[in-house]
Amino acid sequence: MAGNTVRKIKWFFPWQDEQEEAWLRSMSQRGWHLASVALPCTYRFRAGEPRDYVYRLDYQTFSKKDKQEYQQLFRDAGWEYIGEMSAWQYFRKEVKEEESLEIFTDVESKIAKYKRILTFLWFFWIVLIVVFPVRGISMDNPYPWWGAIQVFALLIWLFFTYNIIRLTLRIRQLRRL
Amino acid sequence: MLRDDTDRYLPLTESTCYIMLTLVEPLHGYAVMKKVEEISKGTVKVGPGTLYGAFTLLEKEGLIVKVKEENRRKSYVLTPKGKKVLMNQIKRLEIMTQNGLSVMDMLRSIS
Repeated sequence: MAGNTVRKIKWFFPWQDEQEEAWLRSMSQRGWHLASVALPCTYRFRAGEPRDYVYRLDYQTFSKKDKQEYQQLFRDAGWEYIGEMSAWQYFRKEVKEEESLEIFTDVESKIAKYKRILTFLWFFWIVLIVVFPVRGISMDNPYPWWGAIQVFALLIWLFFTYNIIRLTLRIRQLRRL
Repeated sequence: MLRDDTDRYLPLTESTCYIMLTLVEPLHGYAVMKKVEEISKGTVKVGPGTLYGAFTLLEKEGLIVKVKEENRRKSYVLTPKGKKVLMNQIKRLEIMTQNGLSVMDMLRSIS
C-alpha cells in the first residue's frame, strides 16, 4: 500500500490555472490525492479514499522566513500546503459547508497574481533580447553551434511572447467582470 | 477635499479598505480575516491569497507596518500615511453614501 503512488506529467499554461485546479480536484474525487509537485510539470498522487478536495494555486516568490509566515496564514484559514513548483504554490481544502473555498476573494487580487507572473515573463523576455540581439541568424559567427543556440533562443522567446499575450488577455477578461 | 500625494491610492478596493479598517489596532493575518467578516456583517470575506497580496503591497507602500512576530504570525498596524489614506477614503465613501441616501426615496418610487 505504501508504494501506492502514481506520477503524472501534465502541462498547463500559466493562464490555465483554473483548469489545473479542476483537474486536481477530479483526481481526488477518483481517490488520487496530490502528494507533491516537482519540475518539470510532475505531479505525484497517492491512492486513498475518494474525497472532495478543492485545490488552489497561488504564484509567489519569497524568502524562507516569509514563506513560513505565508504558509501559516493559509493554514490558519484552513488550507493544507502541498508544495511548490517554480513559484506556484499548491493548496487544498476539503469541501464542507460554510467553508470558504477561495484563496482570492476579489478580481483585483486575481489580476495581481497574473501580473506577478507577467513580471517574471517580461523580465526573461527582455533578457533574451539583450543576450541574443535580433540581427538575423548569420552563419559568420565564432562557433558553428552559435546558430543552433540562436534558433533555440528564438523559440523560447516566441514561447514567452505567446505566454505574455495570453496572460494579458486573461487579465482583460477578468477586468470586464 | 484636500488634494495630496496619498490620493493616488484612491479609491481603495473594498477588501483593502476593510483590511485597513481592522488595522487601527495591531492584528495578525487570520485575525484580520475574521474581523473583516464580522464588521462587514458577512458582506466581505478576505481569502488568504488576497490578504497576503494586500499585506505585501500595503507594507511596500508604507501604509502599514509590522509591529510584532509570534509563532510565524506577523502583526501589522496602520502607519500615519496609512491613516491619512484611509481617512480620505472614508470621506469619499461618506460623500457617496450621502448621495445614495438623498435619492433613496426616488429610487423606491421607481417601480
